[in-house]
Amino acid sequence: MLHRRIYQFLIIYAIGLGLLLALKYGLNLSDYVIPSPDEIVRTGRSYGGPYLLAVLNTLAVAILGHILAIGLATLVAVIGRLTAWIGSFIRTAAYNIQAYPIVAVAPIIFILLGDGLQSRLLIAAMICYFPLLLSFIGVFSEPIREIEHFYESTGRMTWRLQIKIRAFENIQKLTTVIVGSATMAMVGTIVAEFIAATAGIGYSIRIALYQSDLAKILVALFWIGVGTSFYLVSLEWVGNALQKRLRSL
Amino acid sequence: MPLEGRHISYRYPNSAGEVFTDLNFRLNSPGFHALFGPSGVGKTTLARMLSGAIKGYAGEMIENEMRRVLYTYNLERLPGWSNVRVHFEEVAPAADRRRMEELIETFDIADQAGSRFHRLSLGQQNRANLIRYLLQEFDLLIMDESLANVDELTREKIILKIKAVYPERCFLYISHNVAEVAKFCSQVFVLRSPSRSPQLVAAQGCDHREGDESDPGRLERAMLEIVHAA
Amino acid sequence: MKLGLKSICLAGAIFLMACAQNKEAEEVDYRLKWLFNVSTVGDLYAENRGYFMRHGLKVNVKPGGPERDALKELELGHAQFGVASADQVLRAAAKGAPILVLAQLFQVNPLHWIYRPDQISFSSGDDLKGKRIGVTFGGNDEAILRALLARYGIAENQVTLFSVRYDYMPFYEKRVDFWPLYLNAQAVIIGEKLEKAGEPFAFLSPDQLGVRFVANSVVTTREMVEKRPETVKRFLAALLEGWRDALDPRHEEQAIQVLLEADRETPEAVVRRQLPVTRELMLPPAGIAFGTIDTAAWKQTEAILRSQKLIPGPVDVESLLFTFK
Repeated sequence: MLHRRIYQFLIIYAIGLGLLLALKYGLNLSDYVIPSPDEIVRTGRSYGGPYLLAVLNTLAVAILGHILAIGLATLVAVIGRLTAWIGSFIRTAAYNIQAYPIVAVAPIIFILLGDGLQSRLLIAAMICYFPLLLSFIGVFSEPIREIEHFYESTGRMTWRLQIKIRAFENIQKLTTVIVGSATMAMVGTIVAEFIAATAGIGYSIRIALYQSDLAKILVALFWIGVGTSFYLVSLEWVGNALQKRLRSL
Repeated sequence: MPLEGRHISYRYPNSAGEVFTDLNFRLNSPGFHALFGPSGVGKTTLARMLSGAIKGYAGEMIENEMRRVLYTYNLERLPGWSNVRVHFEEVAPAADRRRMEELIETFDIADQAGSRFHRLSLGQQNRANLIRYLLQEFDLLIMDESLANVDELTREKIILKIKAVYPERCFLYISHNVAEVAKFCSQVFVLRSPSRSPQLVAAQGCDHREGDESDPGRLERAMLEIVHAA
Repeated sequence: MKLGLKSICLAGAIFLMACAQNKEAEEVDYRLKWLFNVSTVGDLYAENRGYFMRHGLKVNVKPGGPERDALKELELGHAQFGVASADQVLRAAAKGAPILVLAQLFQVNPLHWIYRPDQISFSSGDDLKGKRIGVTFGGNDEAILRALLARYGIAENQVTLFSVRYDYMPFYEKRVDFWPLYLNAQAVIIGEKLEKAGEPFAFLSPDQLGVRFVANSVVTTREMVEKRPETVKRFLAALLEGWRDALDPRHEEQAIQVLLEADRETPEAVVRRQLPVTRELMLPPAGIAFGTIDTAAWKQTEAILRSQKLIPGPVDVESLLFTFK
C-alpha cells in the first residue's frame, strides 16, 4: 500500500502527462514537439533503469548534503544563542545570503572543486543550509520562559538543557523545516548537476535537452518525483515517530 | 531581620508613570506571609524584584539572611520528555525522596505522578510545579498564584502542609483571595497604587495552623483590616 | 506662411508613404540557433541594412539559446523561419516534424578539436588512439567524435573520453589532449591565450578526416512553403543577399559594426579575428552560390546519426532539402 504522498505524485504526473498529450493531439503536433505515448513507453523501457540509478545517485547526494546542512545549522544555531550580538549577526548574514541564488554559484564551485562528489555535496548542503539555519537559530535563541525559569532560578540551567528544552518544545516546527528543506536539497542538487556536473539525474536531463528529447525528460521527471516522494515520506515518518515517542506515556 | 526594602521606587522602561514610589517593607520572620492587592498594582513586579529578576530600581533591598529567594508563578511548565515523578527525582536530592512522596500524596497528584506534565489538569500542573520548588533549597519562596485552579479544600490542605513541613522557611503567597490570606498568613502586605501613601501597608493575618481552633471573629477582623488597607 | 504650409504637406506625404510602406511589409519571426555572435553576422546584417525591408518583409531576428529550439517554435507557429543544425533537423524529421531546409550556412562544420602539436603527434585519424579527448556528452561533438572513431576503427576503450563543461582549465592544465571548440568562436580566444603563453596549437578538422557533419542551416515548415511560397522566396533571397554581403571583405567594417551593436559581450578585437574564420567556413567553393545545400554531407550526417542510434530509423534526406525551381 503506497503512502498518500506517492499517490498524490502519481496523480499529478498522470494529469500533467494527460494535458501534454491533449495538447499534442489537439494541436496536431509532431512527436518531436510532444512525444507519443508509444515513444514515452519505449523510452521508459530503455532509460527507466539508468535514470532510476541516476535519481538514486542524486538522492544520495541530496540526503547526505541535507544531513550535513542540518548538522552544521544545528552547530551554528547553538553557537548563535551564546550572545545576542553573535545571534543577531548570524541571523542577518543568513537572511541575506539565503536570498542569493546558490545555484548561480554552482559553476564556480565546480571549477574550484572539480566534477566529483564533493562539489555536488557542497551545493546540496548550501541550498538548504540557510533556511535551516534561520529556523534553528530562531528556535534555539527564543527562550521558553515557562520551562526555563525553574532551572535558571535554581542554578540548574546548562547550555545542553537549554537546547534540549527549546528543541523539544519546537519539535513540530523543526520537523516541518527539515522536511521542507529536503525538497530544496533535491531540487538544488538536480539544478547544480544540470549546470555543471557529470553525474546524477540533472546531468541526464541536460543531455536529454541537448537532444531535444522530451520523452527522456518525462521519464527523468517520473523517477525524480518518485524518489523525492519516498524521501519526504521517510522524513515525515521519522519526524512523526520521534514526536510520538516523545509524547507517549 | 530577614528582608527589608527601603524607599523603593521603580518605573517600567519606556513608561511615563512610576509603579512604586518610596515603597518600604519589612519581612520580619520566617513564616507564611502574603502579598495582596488589586490586579495590576505591581505585585508580580515587586516579587520579581525580591527574587533579583528586576534590577535598576531606586532604593535599597537589604537581604540579611535571605540569600536564596525563589519565585514561582502559575504558568510554569515541566519539560515534556519524561513523567512528573522522574522530573522530581532529577531536581530533588536523594535524601529528600521521602519528603517528595509526602508532598505528592498531600498535594493529591499521586495518581498523575507517572504521567507527562501535559496530561495533568491545570490545577494538577500548578501543584506539580509547586512541589518541585518546595524540594529546593531556599530562604524565601514567592508563590505567585501558584494554587490557582485548585479547589478550596485542597488549597487549605496544601498551605497547612507547607507550614507544618517548613516552619523555618519564609513564604510570600500572592493571592486575590482575602479570606484565604487572612486565615493562613502571618503578615499580609497590602500593595496599593503609587498615588497612595504609604504604598505598602502591613496587616496582621490569623496564621492558622493545623490543629488550631477556628476563630471566626479574629478572621473577620483580619479580613476587615486587609480590605480597609487595600 | 506659404512655406510653412508646404512643409507640413511634404511632411504629411512622407509620413503617409512610410505608413503605406510599413503596411505592405509582411511581418515574420526568424529564430536563430544561438545568441547573437559571429555565426549570425549575415542574419543581423540582412536585418540591419534593410535587405528584408527591400523585399517587403519585416523580419524579427530573434536570438536562440540553450533553452530555445527553433524547430519547436516553427511547429508551434511562434516563428516562420529558423536556424538549426543538421542533427536537430534530422531528429525532428525522424519524429514527423514538418520541416524543410532552405539553405545551408556552414559549408564546413565549425566544430574542431584544438591540440598541442609539440606534445601530441597527430597526422591522421589513427593517431586518436590512446589520447584523452574532451567531449560534450549528448552534444554534436559526441556524435562527430564517435563517427571519427568508427571511421578509423578505434574502440571506445582505446581512447579516454573526458566530459567537457564550459571552462577550459582541463585543457590549459594539459589534462586533456584534444578539446572541442568552434573554430570561428572559442578557438580565437583560446588560441590567443596559448599564443601569449608561447604554446603552439593546431586544430583537428573532422571534415578533413572525412567526417562531414552539417551544421547551421536555414529552415521553415512545409506549410510555409505550400501556403506562402512568395514569402519564403523573398525571405530567402533577402537573407542570402545579406549573408553574401556580410561575408564580403569589402563590407567587413560594416559587418563588424552590425555585430558589435548586437553582441556586446565579445570584444571588438576578438570579433575582428572571428569574422575571417567564419568566412572561410561558410563560403562555398568558387562558382557555387552561397547557401547551397550539400546533399552528400546531409546524407553522411544522417548515416552517422542512424549508426549511433540517435535517430530511430532512416530519414529521407532529399525530401527535407528544398530548393526553389
